[in-house]
Amino acid sequence: MDDVAEKIIVILRKNMRDQSKEVTLDTKLTDLEIESLDLAVIVFDIEDTFGIQIPYNANEEVQDFATVGSVVERVKAVLAGSQASNPA
Amino acid sequence: MAQNGKGRRVAITGMGVVSPIGTGKEKFWAAIKQGECGVGPIQGFPLQDLYITIGGEVRDFDPKIHCKSKAVSLADRYSQYAAAAADEAIRQSGLEVPFQNGERAASIVGSGAGGLATMDKAYEDIFVHKKKALHPLTLLRIIGSSAAAHVSIDYGIKGPVFGTVSACSTAAHAIGLAFQLIRGGAVDVAVAGAGEAAITYGAMRAWQAMRVLSPEGCFPFSKRRNGTVLGEGAGILVLEDLEHARARGATVLAELCGFGMTSDASDMVNPDVEGPTRAMRIALADAGLSPSGIDYLNAHGTATAANDINETRAIKAVFGEHANRLPISSTKSMHGHCLGAGGGIEAVVCIQAMLEGFVPATIGFDEPGTGCDLDYTPNEGRNREIGYAMSNSFAFGGLNAVLIFGPAPK
Repeated sequence: MDDVAEKIIVILRKNMRDQSKEVTLDTKLTDLEIESLDLAVIVFDIEDTFGIQIPYNANEEVQDFATVGSVVERVKAVLAGSQASNPA
Repeated sequence: MAQNGKGRRVAITGMGVVSPIGTGKEKFWAAIKQGECGVGPIQGFPLQDLYITIGGEVRDFDPKIHCKSKAVSLADRYSQYAAAAADEAIRQSGLEVPFQNGERAASIVGSGAGGLATMDKAYEDIFVHKKKALHPLTLLRIIGSSAAAHVSIDYGIKGPVFGTVSACSTAAHAIGLAFQLIRGGAVDVAVAGAGEAAITYGAMRAWQAMRVLSPEGCFPFSKRRNGTVLGEGAGILVLEDLEHARARGATVLAELCGFGMTSDASDMVNPDVEGPTRAMRIALADAGLSPSGIDYLNAHGTATAANDINETRAIKAVFGEHANRLPISSTKSMHGHCLGAGGGIEAVVCIQAMLEGFVPATIGFDEPGTGCDLDYTPNEGRNREIGYAMSNSFAFGGLNAVLIFGPAPK
């Protein structure tokens, strides 16, 4: 597992109800009991950690947040494309 | 009806409004009938790096015209909006100013966020410009009780005076508590509602962080809905003991018949179906009405994915078969989500709708959202007699407040 994925899993773990649960790239976010504002807080942590901005709308089905792996891919894509970060 | 042992009957003898589709009832209601949209590009301050750039701003408010006292002209905009709406409502009521029996009157005027613009500027002055002193009125402008106090001072209201704070249910709670005070005999007259002026750069940054705002617009109950749009303004009612109103020959616009307040006890953001269901049921029981007695429902209808489906389910649970025949609309499609002031502005909508026999539309409606299959009066309002109207407010944290208005008693 690479550095980006490891950092993201640390952030996810911090926000999970049961911090001892196993988390792999295939794990679905819904299986981690991430609800309500938890996702916004996680994305905020990720944005802060990596100095990036991840735009999303909580009213829309966000495929990028389906699994841990898809979150990692999204972050890597933003890192590859971004320059300075804009605050949320 | 309403003679149900609950206490004295409560009349509405005045109403006032400041909104993104007009300051003053006449302009506001004309815009509602036309289906005008008050949402547009934000112009009140530099957008800088904001990515949500639309809102429902009040565009025709002139402090020189609309602020009736020096103190109010020096207050934060949220208080100015509330005071202007209160003035319109009190003028309509015909009550003598200052109030003759001020000790038997209440001013219950709340705000969701109070003087945010003042706070933004004060922090900028302290932290960025390192100013040596803040304006002495800074604190009074910021706190959420000042609007109620200004109204009390300007009209000689010497009974209960305070503000309510319950996010998007603030105004409805203010009106409901005023209702209960009159019913129970503590006061004879109350000026109640809320003001909100929370579209500032700082507030927009905070809202963006929640990811619930739409970049496009406010489309309640629609398939294309993708979040809410902030609005601002004020909605104020004059409530009065019915006999007190009759004794002075006042024109009674409507009766406030029922009030229900509940809480979801569930989540800070996502609504539950049970809390809103109970609030509507309690309001109906309080009014002595069966669900089929409601002729129009002004929904909370914020156009978030979560609210609209949850509210639809709650309406079905309460109204059963009647839900399919009940005209519903969310006027937030026109004036935006006015936060704390919403319940007051929407109360004015309900009463005006009853007076004229007109059901306002939910504009911007493309096709029904999944699971949203009731009659939301899409795009065009309708002429229709409205005997009783229900107004819903459901706030962050699961704070629910429902008001029911009825015709002026014969």
